[in-house]
Amino acid sequence: MSPIHDQSYRHYAGGRAAPGRSWAVIAWAGIRSFLRKRAFMGLMLFSLVPFIVRAVQFWISSQYPQASALIPTADTFRQFLEQQDFFVFVITIWIGSGLIANDRRANALQIYLSKPLMRTEYIAGKLAILFFFLCLVTLAPALLLVLIKIAFDGNFVFLRNNLFVIPAIVVGSLLQVMLASCTMLALSSLSKSARYVGILYVGITFFTGAMFGVLYAITGTSRVSWISLGANLSQVVDVVFRLKPRYATPWQVSLLVIIGLIVLSISILERRVRGVEVVT
Amino acid sequence: MSTSAGAADRAGGADRADADRAAGAAAVISADHLSKWYGQVIGLNDVNVRVPPGVTGLLGPNGAGKSTFMKLITGQLKPSKGGVTVLGEPIWSNPDLFFRIGFCPEQDAFYERMTGLEWVRALVRLNGLSEKDAADAATRALTAVDLMEAANKKIGAYSKGMRQRVKMAQALVHDPQLLILDEPLSGMDPIGRRKTIRLIREWGRAGKSIIVSSHILHEIESMTSNILLINNGRILAEGDVHQIRELIDEHPHTVYVRAEDPRRIARQFLESDDVRSLKFEPNAVVVETGKPDQFYARLTDMAASGEFGAIDEVTSPDDNLQAVFQYLVK
Repeated sequence: MSPIHDQSYRHYAGGRAAPGRSWAVIAWAGIRSFLRKRAFMGLMLFSLVPFIVRAVQFWISSQYPQASALIPTADTFRQFLEQQDFFVFVITIWIGSGLIANDRRANALQIYLSKPLMRTEYIAGKLAILFFFLCLVTLAPALLLVLIKIAFDGNFVFLRNNLFVIPAIVVGSLLQVMLASCTMLALSSLSKSARYVGILYVGITFFTGAMFGVLYAITGTSRVSWISLGANLSQVVDVVFRLKPRYATPWQVSLLVIIGLIVLSISILERRVRGVEVVT
Repeated sequence: MSTSAGAADRAGGADRADADRAAGAAAVISADHLSKWYGQVIGLNDVNVRVPPGVTGLLGPNGAGKSTFMKLITGQLKPSKGGVTVLGEPIWSNPDLFFRIGFCPEQDAFYERMTGLEWVRALVRLNGLSEKDAADAATRALTAVDLMEAANKKIGAYSKGMRQRVKMAQALVHDPQLLILDEPLSGMDPIGRRKTIRLIREWGRAGKSIIVSSHILHEIESMTSNILLINNGRILAEGDVHQIRELIDEHPHTVYVRAEDPRRIARQFLESDDVRSLKFEPNAVVVETGKPDQFYARLTDMAASGEFGAIDEVTSPDDNLQAVFQYLVK
């Protein structure tokens, strides 16, 4: 056999995965690229601080019954998710702003969509990247805290008395993650500049919050809380945790606003994620 | 893969090419009243065309509709009217078909911080290849485009020619049946062009169908004689360049005659009805004729008679595609 290999064209003879799994390729490639960034991993580790503090709180409350102020309730888990809002915000901007904007700047969409990849798969893959990291700072530690609580107590009393806590954590976290992911991805599809997208997201978040603050100061009622992105989420998650809603806006209105924003984001993505941009 | 295996592959490729030819009517691309509007502007106007297997050149000036046609046949644009099938299946909303198609866009589409190998490997994963198979396929594709030496360099450091070749590598990497190359020679240096032309011809011989667009006609001419001429959103002509040449016989045909006494020859030409115009150049006359066959017969007789002095050179710019194209797009 000649040691010199044939240099002419050779047909591919290997296997191929069934179609429909390309979203996972995109998701995994994106996740890996962020896992390689030290600064980002630093942020992820920092996001564990509230989790560690809560875990210590649970331990103290289980070891020292006299520390009754530290005994966790269902509200504790609600508070934990709220504390993680900051990390959700920062991670959403860090990861999400460039997810589609960078592909648009590099003209990569044209190449991606000339592969066996549906637009929905592309969007699902990109969403999965954000979903993964946001769940790592919300859903995963919150559920882990429930396990830690059970472990430290050595019984299921807490869980038996608060059966709704696990579904509430799941629904509350997913609402938080879904709203952040969809809105950020839609914004990312609108521009070729990740920086601009990040600024836009910050602007929208703070502007809607500020608008609510101003209207609240003028009207003296919190019925206009539906105008704020964050207030809507707080309102609905409060209800999910069986707490009294903090604003006067009916929680159904807040939920409708959240659903509307998610639908609007999907509609923007449907229009913007195309291999070829047609300008008429 | 060993040499013998390579030979087997070549045989396989030849078989595939034969099968394609045997299919005969099985056009790789079939457009039926295909039209595309961009608002008020028409990009492609009621195109009916069947592209046979093999290498086909899509020719047209900038703005002719080549890129629109390319985007329609790669499913990136939805036709405003009519339909297009690729390899026998509708291309629009049919991503599975892209397992069998490779597309090399005209524009750069890179993450400049990635190496060529990383980029090609990442893209071929979208074709369902495992990590290991993707790495092997990417290496093979980069070798095929003669870019293996620069495979681990960042794409940002690539020359224009290298960028074109890495784009072709990603189009080729999953071994598609049909390659669609949009202006692949654009910006390449002469050596790069020659290498790329050789590659395209080799892939054609290996059984692939290739559609390659260009607005530089001699490039296409060096790859294939099967062409599609497009202008103002319409297909002007299709088929073998010589057949197309026959189609335009009613158009004036230009002949350059360098001779010892061009004025004497010109007087003789003027006696014929088919001669439409004459223009003198140093030691030569350029004749425009409506009946090239009769003209050449008469010229041969004149040269043979010896009465008109020596006729040193007879050339026709019409012999190349550029002239054919210029006639058709007038």
